[in-house]
Order: sequence, then C-alpha cells, then structure tokens
Amino acid sequence: MSKKRKRQDDFQKTKLKVGKKKPKADNATNVNFRSKSIHLPEQLKHGESGPTTHRHLDIKDLLSQLHHFNSNVKQGALVGLRELLSANPTMVELHASVVLSEVAALFTDKDGSVRAAAVRLLRFVAQCIPSERVAPFFPLLSAHLTCAMTHISEAIQEEALRVLDVLLEHYPGLLSQRHTVLLGNFLELISQRRKSGTGQDKSGKGSYALTVTTNRSVTAQQWRLTVLLRLSNFLQAVVEERPLEEGVSSRIGLGMWAVEKGLVTPVDVTWEEHVNGQGKIQLFENSGAGPTSHSAYRLRPDSKSGAGMDKELCSAETVQGFAATLVPLLLEIWVEAAGGGRVQTDSGHLLSAESMALMFQILSILQLLRRMTPQRDQQDVLDAWFRNSYLTDFKQHFMKNFPYGLLEVARHKKKADGKRIKQPVAAGVVAGSTVEPLAVNVTLCQVMVTLSLRGQDHVAAEDADWLGPIRVFIRETLSNGSKLSSKHLAALLEVVWRMIVTQRSRVVTDELLQAVYVQYQQRNLSVNVRSLLLRFFSQLYIQEHQNHPHIARSRILARWLASLPVQLVQLGSRNPQLSAQLLETVQPAAARGNKDLLQSLQKNACSLYDPQEGCVVVLPVESQKRLVQILHFLPEFPAELLACLSEVCNTGRVSASLATTLIRTVHLRSPLSGCSSASQDVPLKDVDYLSFFFTTLTGFSSDMLRALQDKDEDDLLAASTLSPLSVYTTSLDQFLHHWDVVEVVCHCLDTLGSRAQCFDVIQNAIINNLAGLVVVPDCVCVALLRCVPRLLDVNFLPSDTLLHFLSDCCLSMLSLLLQLEQSARKRDAVWEACFAALSSVPRLLRLVLQSFRVLDLCEDELPVLAQILSLLLQHTQLRNHMMANASFLQHIIQDLTHYYGGESREQWLIDLLYCYSVTLSTHRANMGIRDIY
Amino acid sequence: MSAPVEVVLSADSAGQLFNCAVYDPHTGSEFLSYRGGNTSSRSLTILNGEYILGAQLGKNYINVWEIQRKDQLQQKIVCPGIVTCLCASPDGLYVLAGIAEAIYLWEVSTGNLLAILSRHFQDLSCIKFTDDSSHFVSGGKDNLAFIWNLSSVVQLDSSRTPEPRHILSRHSLPITDIHCGLMGPQARVATASLDQTVKVWEISSGEMLLSVLFDVGIMSVTFDPCEYFLFCGGSDGNIFQVSLCSTSLSRDKTFQSDSEGNQVFKGHRNLVTCLSVSMDGTVLLSGSNDETVRMWDVQSKQCIWTINHRGPVTNAAIIPAPANMFLSDSHPAVPLPRFSRHLNPSEQGDGTGTGGMSLRLGANTQEPEGTYLEKAEELYSLMCAVTDKSVFGDGENTKVRVSELEEEVRTLKKINKDLYEFSTQLLTKPN
Repeated sequence: MSKKRKRQDDFQKTKLKVGKKKPKADNATNVNFRSKSIHLPEQLKHGESGPTTHRHLDIKDLLSQLHHFNSNVKQGALVGLRELLSANPTMVELHASVVLSEVAALFTDKDGSVRAAAVRLLRFVAQCIPSERVAPFFPLLSAHLTCAMTHISEAIQEEALRVLDVLLEHYPGLLSQRHTVLLGNFLELISQRRKSGTGQDKSGKGSYALTVTTNRSVTAQQWRLTVLLRLSNFLQAVVEERPLEEGVSSRIGLGMWAVEKGLVTPVDVTWEEHVNGQGKIQLFENSGAGPTSHSAYRLRPDSKSGAGMDKELCSAETVQGFAATLVPLLLEIWVEAAGGGRVQTDSGHLLSAESMALMFQILSILQLLRRMTPQRDQQDVLDAWFRNSYLTDFKQHFMKNFPYGLLEVARHKKKADGKRIKQPVAAGVVAGSTVEPLAVNVTLCQVMVTLSLRGQDHVAAEDADWLGPIRVFIRETLSNGSKLSSKHLAALLEVVWRMIVTQRSRVVTDELLQAVYVQYQQRNLSVNVRSLLLRFFSQLYIQEHQNHPHIARSRILARWLASLPVQLVQLGSRNPQLSAQLLETVQPAAARGNKDLLQSLQKNACSLYDPQEGCVVVLPVESQKRLVQILHFLPEFPAELLACLSEVCNTGRVSASLATTLIRTVHLRSPLSGCSSASQDVPLKDVDYLSFFFTTLTGFSSDMLRALQDKDEDDLLAASTLSPLSVYTTSLDQFLHHWDVVEVVCHCLDTLGSRAQCFDVIQNAIINNLAGLVVVPDCVCVALLRCVPRLLDVNFLPSDTLLHFLSDCCLSMLSLLLQLEQSARKRDAVWEACFAALSSVPRLLRLVLQSFRVLDLCEDELPVLAQILSLLLQHTQLRNHMMANASFLQHIIQDLTHYYGGESREQWLIDLLYCYSVTLSTHRANMGIRDIY
Repeated sequence: MSAPVEVVLSADSAGQLFNCAVYDPHTGSEFLSYRGGNTSSRSLTILNGEYILGAQLGKNYINVWEIQRKDQLQQKIVCPGIVTCLCASPDGLYVLAGIAEAIYLWEVSTGNLLAILSRHFQDLSCIKFTDDSSHFVSGGKDNLAFIWNLSSVVQLDSSRTPEPRHILSRHSLPITDIHCGLMGPQARVATASLDQTVKVWEISSGEMLLSVLFDVGIMSVTFDPCEYFLFCGGSDGNIFQVSLCSTSLSRDKTFQSDSEGNQVFKGHRNLVTCLSVSMDGTVLLSGSNDETVRMWDVQSKQCIWTINHRGPVTNAAIIPAPANMFLSDSHPAVPLPRFSRHLNPSEQGDGTGTGGMSLRLGANTQEPEGTYLEKAEELYSLMCAVTDKSVFGDGENTKVRVSELEEEVRTLKKINKDLYEFSTQLLTKPN
C-alpha cells in the first residue's frame, strides 16, 4: 500500500480542464509598464545633410533664406548661421566660399538690422579663418566693400566703415593689396568730384570738393573724423605690409636706432673649439664651388635701383597723384576744424577735444603718405614735391596757431537733446581715446620738419619763420623738466635729428642739443628713456660725425662724450645693461680719437680700473673685455694707472685670459715692444713699463709684501735649513691665475730688444725689493724661478746676491714640492720652474748643493734631503749638471753614510745610494765610450 | 738659368745690407737684392711687373726700383705724409697709398692724383685691391674697414664725396691685416684684428660670414688660393690654420691623430707680421719680428728653411716672378711719371664745364698685329688641313678650295720674289 502510493505521487499528472487558461509561469515578465517621453528643445537633431539649428534648419536652408524678400527672415538666417557655425567650427572652412559670398552681398542691404547682423557674422568668420585661407575670396569681399563705401545711402556707408574695421583688424595684408581702389573710396566718403564747370574756375584746388550734408545723424566734423581715423589705419596697414628694401631703414618710433642686422648669420668659432674638433666650420656648403646664392651684388649703384620699378604706390609719381587729391581736402578739413577759434582771436590756439582728434588724424595721414615709398631717393623726391606744392599752405594753416592747447569743455557746453548726446559719445568711442595736445604738436613737428631740405643753405632764410616756432616748442618741451614718455620722446628726438641734419647751422645744433642734454641730465629717468637718449647721442656721434662738420664741432656733443666715463664710474655695477650701452659708445669714440672723450678717460682711468671697486672688476665679462680693449686707445699710461692695472691683473676678480689680454695691450703700447710705428708722443715710459711688469711678475705690491713679514705662523711653512725662506702658501686658484700671468709676462719681456739691459733692470729690482724678505709667497718664488732663466743672456753673469736668493727660493720650492698634495698642475708648475732655473742659470746648482750640510741637519730633515737628491738625480737632463758638481755630491753622500754608518740602513738611504750608483755607472760608461772613440 | 715660376720677396726694417731681396722658394738662397733705405710694413708692392715700390720707413717718400736693376731710381715719389700702407692695382693702372687718415689714389699713366679719401678716423694700417682691380679694401686703426668701388672713386664729379660701398664695423680693436681672395667683386675678404678675431666678409654684400676668436691678437692673415684654409699669424709667434671646409670632403685623409698641435705652426718667437701662400697651396711663407723668414710645409707643419734678417721683417710674400726681374738688359715699357701731390683742379674744372667724358685706356694693352710670316704660316696650315680633307671629302667643294689656295700661293710667291729682288738690289748696291 505505501509503496504503491509513493510511486503514484511521483508520477502525478496535472489534469487540464477544457476551457480554463493555462496557469502563468513563475518567471513571467510583467509587460504592463507605460513609458513617457521627455522633450529637450535645445538639442539639435542631425538631418541627412548635416547639423541643424534649434529651428531644424541646416546650412542649405539658411543660405537660401539669405535671398528672402523679408528682412526679418534674412536677419534670422544670419543669426542662425552664426549659431550653427559657432557650434560647429569645422564647418567654417568647409563652407567659407559660399558664406563669405552671401555675407558680402548683404553689406548693401536696405535694412539696418540685416547689415548689422552681417557685420557680426563677418567678424565671427574672420576670427576663425586665417589670412591665407581667405585670400582667394578677398576680391569679392573687397568688391562688395567698394559698393558699400560708395553707396548713395549714408547709413550703408556707415556700416561699410564697420566692415572695414573688421577687415583691418584681421586681414591688413590682404586689404593693403587693394589700396588703389580703396583709397579712392575714402575720397568719395568725404567729398565728391567737382563739376567740369567749376573746375575751370578753381584750378588751384583739387578735383574733389568737400561735401556738406545736413541729413546725417552726426555732424560733418564727427563724420570726417570717423573716416579719417579709418583712412589712417588703412595707410598704416599699407605701409607696414610693404617689405622694406635693403639699406632703407624705417626711422619711426623706437625702431629709429635699432641695430640693423645683416642677411647672413655669421659663423662664430672659438679657436679652442676648432682645435679640439668639436665643430667643423661649414662656411661654404659646396666648398666654394658655387657662388653665394643670397648675394645682393648689383652692378648698378644704389641710387638707380628704383628706376625700373613701376609698381603702384611704389614710385613718387603715384603717391603724388593720390596726395594731390587728398591733401587739399585735408587742408579744408583743418580750416573748418580750426574755424571755431577764429571768432576769438586771442584763443585761436585752443581747440576742443574733437578738433584735436581730427587734427591728429590729419597729421598722421600726412606722415603715412610720406612713408608710402620704401626707397630713400623716392622719399626725397616726395619730400621735395610736398615742399614745392604745399609748403605755403602748411605754413598758412598749420603754423599759424602753433603750438596748440586743449580748450576747456565747460565753456562751450551746449544744450542738446537725448539723441545728440548719444552720437558724440559714439564718436568719442570711435576715436579710440582723447588725443593729448602734446601728441598733436609733436606730430605736427614731424610733418613740418620733413619739408626742410637737406644741405641747401640758400633756403634757410625762407624756412626761418616756421622753423623758429618748432625749435622754440622743442626746446621748451625738452627743457621744462617734465617727464616724457618713451613714445613722445622718440618722436621729439626724431625731429631734433632731422633738424640737426638739415640745418647746417652750428647755433641751431647747439641749441637743440642743449635742450636734449637738459632732458638727459634729469634724475630718476626710467631705463627706457635713459637708453633712448643714450642711443640718440650715440648714433648722432657715430653716424653723422663724418658727414656734418657742424655736428662734429658741437660743444654739447663734446661735453656729453666727456661725461660718459664719469657716468661709468658713478654707475658701477648697479645697471650692467646701461653700462654696456655706455661702453658701446665709448669704444668707437675712443677708436676714432675723440679728444674730449680721451681726456675724460685719462682723467677717470684710475677710477675705472680701480682694483677694488672699479668698473673693470664689478661689471660682467663682456664689459670687462671692452674696458680692456679701451686701454688700447688711452693717450698715456701714468704710473698710478699702471699700479691699478697691475693690481687688477694680480687679484682674481678678472679672468686669467682677460688679465693676459691686458698685459699684452700694455706691451703693445710700449715703444720697447718695437711693433708700433715711430710716433712722437710716447704713451708709456720705459721706467713705468718695466715697473708694471715687475709688479705683475711678483703678484704682490710692496705694501702687501711688507705686511706679510709680520704675519703669524699658521699660514706659513716654518723656515729651516732645507727651506731657508718662510713660504706663504697661496690658494690654488690664485696660484694658477698667477702662473698664467707669469707666462705672458715672461713672453713679453723675452721679446724686448736688448735682453742684457732688461735682465740687469730685473736683477736690480729683485735684489732691491725681494732679496731682503723673510716671508715670501710661493707664487713669487715660482715666478722668479720661471722668469730669470728666460731672460738670462749667454754673455751675462748674474750677481752673487741674486744667485743666493734664487738658491734659497729653489730650495724652498723643492721642499714645498715634496709636501704638495693639492693639485697636479701646481706640482708640475713648481717642478718646471725649479728645473728651468737649475738647468739654465749657471752656478745655481752648485750653490744649492753647497747649502746641503748634513752635519747641521736634524734627524727629521735627512729624509727630505735624500728625497730632494733622488729627485734631482732621476732627471735625465740634470745628470750632466750633477756630474759637473760630483765632488759636492760625493761629499754629501759620504757624510750621510758616515752619519748612519753604525745603524741599519733606512729605506730612503738605500734608494738614494741606488740612484747615485746608477748615475755614476751611466756616467762612467759614457766616459768609457768616449775614450774608445 | 731658367727663370723660376715663383720667388720670395722680403724686406726688413734694418736695411743694413739691402732694402729688399729676392729668394728661391725651394732652397731659400738669395737671387738678387735691391739697395737703398728700408721699407715699412705692408708697403712693398710690384707695379705692373716692371717696378718695385717701397715706402720708406718713417719718411714721406716712396722708393722706386726698376725691377731689373739693383739700385733705385733717382726719382722718388714724395708724399704729403708718412706712408703707412701702399698697394698697386693688379692691372698696373693705379697706386693707392695710405697716408695718416687719408687714402691717396694716383693714376700711373699720368701721375695725376685722382682722389683723396678721408673716411677713416685714425691711421690706415692696410689696403688691398681685388684681383680684377675693381674694388679695394682699406683697414685702419679705428676698427673700421671700408670696401670701395674703384669706378665710383675715380669719377670726375667733384661735387659728390665718394662713399664706400660697405663699411665693416664689427671689429673692436685696430685692424692689422686684410687679405682679398679671388673672383673679383664676388671675392671674400679676411680681416685680422688686435681684438683676437679674424673675420671673413663678402665684398658683394658686405656681410660677415665667419668670425674666429683666438687667444692672442692676430697680426696677419691670408687665404690659400682655393680658400680651403685660413692662416692667421698671432702676436705670440704661432700661426693658426683654420679649415674653412669640412675635412670629410678630402679623399686622402691622413692617419695622423687630431692632436692639438696639428693646427698650429710653431717656431717663431715674436709676432708674425706677414703671411703668404704659394700658388699651389703647399707652402706657407711667414715673416716675423724675430728677424726670420720661414717657409713651412702646409701638410706636415714643418719648417723647410729659414732666412735670417738683420731686423724685424716688414714685408714677405711669395709672388709670381716678373719676366723682367732676371733680364738685366730689359727696360720698362713706359717710364714712370712724376706723381703729383695735389688734386688737379683744372682737369676737374674742364670735366665739369664741358660735360664731356674722359676715356682712359691702359698703356700698351692693345694686341700687336701679327707679322707677315705668321700670316703665311696660318695660311699654310690651313692649306695643309684642306689638303688632308680633300683625300676624304667630297670633290666639288674641295676643288674650289684648292683652286683658291693655289691662287693664294701664287700671290705669295710673287711677293716673295719681289722681296728677294729688293734685298738683292739693296745688298749689291755699293755704299
């Protein structure tokens, strides 16, 4: 029963009844959820043709809407284009041609809002596309700009100026290439062509007449200021995009005295680098087989280089043609701007801010017209033409009320309605900033001074009436002690330069230079202003000195040159760059033999070359080098200057190479060196020359040597029998520095003509100054041991006092050599000096050996003696000299052997005896061979 | 004895035995010497292969020798001041002298003083012509070197001051030597200075190509003819050799290691005053203030021979030997005129007034016409060539050519016969 029920339960089958549903599975999913959609209005949908705006318009739709008759639709299309292009910057270059074409067409649209939107879109596009990408489409853009500028509607003309602003800001180069067309458009904006009937009546005027319109929203003066401001910017772009020809440098502003750089970068090589093979000199890329590709050689002279060029606005005739139309219009505008002051004669020079800005633009345009031609001779032709055509008009209008001042605004404040108040503010914003009266006056000076001709004295009387006020103004501006900015000062200095060069009058030159000198002598000038004035005087001296005698004989310039060394002394190390500039002027002036500068240099030489705080030790290396080179041009070398120079060489504050250069310079200036030509005045006396070299050779002055005698014992090596002198040990750098100096001094003394007399002088100096000392520095000993063998002549015998002193020095140095562990170079130097002295000076080795008395030595000194003897015996070249004194050597060896006869042999004694026996056997073998022969 | 191709010409400031002497470049033996006075530095020059000009040391005149005679001419060129440098143009038409701060330019054919150029601020130290005589370079003690165009200097327009073509103003101490390379206006100029640099410039553009900074002041400089090397004589007696091209270009590379002594010629004890390289670039001549002239081998840096002078050497150069130097019976083609000391105002006045053009030609530059025998030889060689051609060429043109030549031969024979009869008649006539 239980077994049967269990089986039945296992195989129980669920019976499904007909009509009832199948029960759900346990893992069934509930699908009764409901989804809701979220709308994001700003999200852009991508259609098949590309991205779209928030109104689902792609670029094709937007471009087609630009042709719609409704202005609102066009404006919306422009706004949409700007939105689309700002969201997708890559599309700007893809669709640049079609976008620029359509936008340019809308410059002349009837509706103002459409034009404003077009200008905004153009500004956005101009920021994205560089200049070279727009170049193919620029003819179309400029054509539409021309249509807009010459449109009959004034509102369209005003919008055209804003388009011009965008193009001037982003594409000045492309715009300047279209200058022939656009310059004519500027004329149309402020004038109209005269009728043929009235042209016959007024033949003196140009072919254009100023237009006076009464239906504009702004006054005629403000409108002209707006147009002239853009004309000025446009001419500036034309001038700046013009590549300057070679040799013609732009002399405007701070670039007036910029250093002209050559086309070729020179190869700079140092001899050490070339010797070590670090850099191969690749001067000619094909080893000179072909000529230089960038050679600027021309067979014709420079004055005819512009004859074959007929470019537009490159020649003077083209600029004259344009200027003949523009300048009368500018003069009429000037008359109208200054017309307000005609009512009150006493305040004719006072101008309102608006008139001031207008005049400034007129003068800027006149300046830019002159700079249209890049060549110098074309500029001269243009200046002459300006003078012939417009000098009378310029004198009548410009110079009548010169200099101009600013009129107080409160006097002429008028009532105005709300509409007129806004427009002057807009005009002020367009003008950029309020123009200072000083800027107007300075620019007027620059324009007028270019009309004065070079080198023609017969027209000086004619120009006196209008050059006088300019000169008075410049003198007052420079002399009143006010602080000028770099920009104004550069302009004023340019005017001064031009007046000095053209006016061949000494009185004018001194007057103007006096004014500039007053400005130069002010205190607390900024570094820029100081450098500017310094460069002005420097270039005036260097460039114009030869061509203009009245500049060469200027007392102000002479006084300024004489003050340069004083400024160098006072400046010191406070401003190294300014000192470098001063030196750049001092060195060419000294090379040219300027008397005032050389006298001042001579007077301040001891201060400049002071070893403690002179310029030669506190300035950087380049300025130090220049100061050493200036020594070549000093008129004379007094004894105190040579003392300063000697101390400069000995202290380590200048490098060893610079010290050697200084020594060679002094050597070249001396008549004893024999390489200078026969001159009447001797810059360097023989006594001073030899004194300088002796002091430099010793490295210590008399006072320092005297002070060393009382020095305490911690820095000295104690005096002993083997070291007769107390040696003052100098530092390694000082020793090596002095070693280089000694080499050059020995070479210079070696090349003198009479060596016997020279040696006699040096010998007496050593005996008188050094032989009585107890404490001697080690570099002095080495210097003497180095110098005496080189100067010693074959026929000359040194005195006993010198020989004894040299013997003491040699012994002390040999003792020092055994204790030296600092530097291998110092050991080599000391040994080289001792060896040279022992092998060259006769009887010196005998004296050294005679001073070896074994019985007087204590036990600690015997190993030192043995080492010295071993050292001498091991040297091959010294063996002959040692064998020549064999008796002394044998005597010393016997004494040493007897002293240590009873005890066991020390190692140093065994070594010494070995060296001695080897030397003896070698010597005897040589003697035997000689006997056989 | 056949004339050597190159000779060594040297002078010292002692002037005990001779003023200047000529030596053999191979052995250093003396060929001949010129007597009288002594010559200052950079003042010995050869004028057109026929004269030697040397400025007297410390005086204001120039000694003149005819090149085939040892004794100098009685005619001295008296100058307005002490001559510091002297140079004759390679074509023999002009002489330049540096006197104080001015450059004096004389015309050799007439002796006129053409120009006085006062652009330097200090004394001149050296002056050199280019090899085609179109430009010259002057260097002075005011650190400046000027490149002048000769045609702009000799123009007759007196209203305009001549301006140098380029101003080389990168040196900071006096210029001691100038060397002009070859190629005329396209040449390169090397300037040596006391500011321890040697700079290489380009005449056409005035640009500086190279600047080498040494440890000592450089007193002399020269190029080799190929301009591969720059030789600089220092004030310490060393001569430095600077390679201006990469050494990897040379095919025969020596196995000598590049040690420090490989680039320096050592031997002189005092400053080297003059340097000169031979035409083939294998030997270098140097003169020094230690009273010796040395000849060096460029490749091995060894001194070949030494000439001991009595005083500091002022001039030493390797020059191509002039033809008249060793022919004692030869004479100059044109006698040397008297050199004037002032500018000629009448000539300038005439030139300015008439507006005419002055045309100057060099003396005897026109080629002499060939002699009659040379013409006969040419015709004979042409006839032989045509005869050789007739063996292989076509017959018709050859026949015409042969007939023409035969007619020419008959004319020549007739002329020859007339000459023979004339000579016979002249010889047999009793005097």
